[in-house]
Amino acid sequence: MAATDKTPILKVEGLQTSFFTHDGEVKAVDGVDFEVGANETLGIVGESGSGKSITSLSIMQLVESPGKIKGGSINLTGEDLLKKSKSQFAKYRGNRVSMIFQEPMTSLNPVFTVGHQVSEALRIHKKLGKKDARQEAIRMLKLVGIPAPEDRAKRYPHELSGGMRQRVMIAIALSCDPELLIADEPTTALDVTIQAQILELIKNLQESSGMAVLIITHDLGVIAETADKVAVMYAGEVVEQADVKTLFKRPLHPYTKGLMNAIPRHDVDMDELEVIKGTVPSSAEMPSGCRFMKRCPYASEICETHPSLATPTHNYGVEDDSGAVRCWIYTEEWDTATKKQEVQ
Amino acid sequence: MYIFIIRRFLQLIPVIIGVTLVAFLIIQLIPGDAAQVMAGEAASEEQLEQMRENLGLNEPLYVQYGTFLADLVRLDLGQSVRTDQPVMELVAPRFWITLELAFWGLVVAVVVGLLGGILAATKQNSYRDLGTMMFAVIGLSMPNFWLGLMLMYLFSIELGWLPTSGWGDWQQIFLPAITMGTAGAAIIARMTRSAMLEVLGEDYVRTARAKGVKERLVIYKHALRNALIPVVTVIGLQFGYFLSGAVLTESVFSINGLGRLVVDAISQRDFPVVQGTVIVLALTFVLTNFIVDILYRVLNKRIEIN
Ligand SMILES: Nc1ncnc2c1ncn2[C@@H]1O[C@H](COP(=O)(O)OP(=O)(O)OP(=O)(O)O)[C@@H](O)[C@H]1O
Ligand code: SF4
Ligand SMILES: [Mg+2]
Repeated sequence: MAATDKTPILKVEGLQTSFFTHDGEVKAVDGVDFEVGANETLGIVGESGSGKSITSLSIMQLVESPGKIKGGSINLTGEDLLKKSKSQFAKYRGNRVSMIFQEPMTSLNPVFTVGHQVSEALRIHKKLGKKDARQEAIRMLKLVGIPAPEDRAKRYPHELSGGMRQRVMIAIALSCDPELLIADEPTTALDVTIQAQILELIKNLQESSGMAVLIITHDLGVIAETADKVAVMYAGEVVEQADVKTLFKRPLHPYTKGLMNAIPRHDVDMDELEVIKGTVPSSAEMPSGCRFMKRCPYASEICETHPSLATPTHNYGVEDDSGAVRCWIYTEEWDTATKKQEVQ
Repeated sequence: MYIFIIRRFLQLIPVIIGVTLVAFLIIQLIPGDAAQVMAGEAASEEQLEQMRENLGLNEPLYVQYGTFLADLVRLDLGQSVRTDQPVMELVAPRFWITLELAFWGLVVAVVVGLLGGILAATKQNSYRDLGTMMFAVIGLSMPNFWLGLMLMYLFSIELGWLPTSGWGDWQQIFLPAITMGTAGAAIIARMTRSAMLEVLGEDYVRTARAKGVKERLVIYKHALRNALIPVVTVIGLQFGYFLSGAVLTESVFSINGLGRLVVDAISQRDFPVVQGTVIVLALTFVLTNFIVDILYRVLNKRIEIN
């Protein structure tokens, strides 16, 4: 599952998505960059409210008003999706780009059978007739490990368990053989054992289809199990990016280090553990410098200036050049600035 | 499900008994001598006695009620004291007309109400939404008869497009149907709007969009099917109210429906006819509610178990 060096399947650059509320603009996603290649899994991790879901909904162009994609580009195998018209992009949605959601219990329509809901995308995108679509839907249900798929196809969502429903969601998402699958907390609502099964399923399906996967979670345990690369998000920005091994070996950003402390108990929500004191600042009190400043144990004067996401050049110990971090500590300036402070 | 229907049906029995009791008491509660009131001041003693005999007023109350019920079961509603015609024969054709009127009123209410509600909900807080809801408020607060008169004035008298009164031709349907349907349309529009707004925020609507379902189908298939569940109840209830609320519309447009029949019967103090009409209307009301209840349950079953 190594990254290919061809054009990435998905390349997001400078993505900005804001909500224009009565109290002003809320910058939910503020200049996010990342890319995912074929057969590769990128994990996006971060606390609640860091902008993970809005990032993924932006890619699907499903951000609801008053939210709006303000800037940046989203490239799918080289085509800028944001330049497409609504109807052009509708042809991609559920076809070349698919998404599964956190809540399997409410993500299926209660008044239609499971079979109907799986065949719908096939009928839209693959233009299959009713019978063929149904046949294909049953095949998909079987593929995602649903026992007795012919029978289940006739059932309504409420007759299925949460884990089964998430499998149905996966069947829907993969029915048209997408190049990119976005999974926004696909297992958060499920039991631990079911969680592992679902993650395993996604992995296996990826291996056979070669699709790119974007997995969103606030659970570093899920990242460790599934991802090849990680982007850590904080307050609408990517604060650290690295391949998964590197990140776990040597987390750089103080925020990432804070998240790591939660790993020994990854069965418990990070949010509940509160390893990092404080919460994500609201848009009104967002610091103009480093957004993590108020919670950072290393914060220094230089942090009043907004750091950029860059390859670390200082103070990072292990010698390698993968990854990027948005923190002054790993820059030359840090040494000069802190030395100056010591002198004073 | 069957158990539910049976239980619901058993619950109807006391209601039906209540209805018959009230209808029965209409004659009993007439102050003074019922026969005198019906027959009028000029009636002779023999005529009065004859009437008491016909109506069984000389029997003890419980016997009267028993006879009344027994007749009712045989669909015998007694005779008019004016024309001696069986009440059933008077009521049946009129009931049919009222049913037709209520049906067309309901069509107006449902079509306009659903469309208005959907239009408003799919563009929440827009001028379209505001405009639709303003119409709904106006529609609700306008008295029925006044709306009827205004429509008649505009379309029949000023423009001459539609007949002012009567029933039977298709042109005669429009004005009464709009008159009857407006308030219902307003209620249904509001209900549809709020149900749609709720449903449009559901995860499965987002799933439908994520699948690439066209926005039109997202609204009319995925969302509306779910939003309809509470709306159906309102629609059913409307039908019941329509039947009983037809009186005013019928008199504005001179339609010979049940409403007219009961008004005429009251003014002629023809109480058996009043009684019969009340029973028919009340039972229809009770039955529609029963059907709506079951329908709601059928539509809702999948969600309820959830
Ligand atoms: N409808 C909205 N109106 C205003 N602001 C919103 C809205 N939806 C999201 N936001 C803002 O976007 C930010 C990011 O939200 P997002 O759902 O992407 O967080 P997340 O990282 O997915 O968190 P979680 O782990 O809770 O799912 C929120 O903190 C919030 O301020
Ligand atoms: S830039 Fe400064 S405040 Fe921000 S994380 Fe680094 S050390 Fe902490
Ligand atoms: Mg989220």
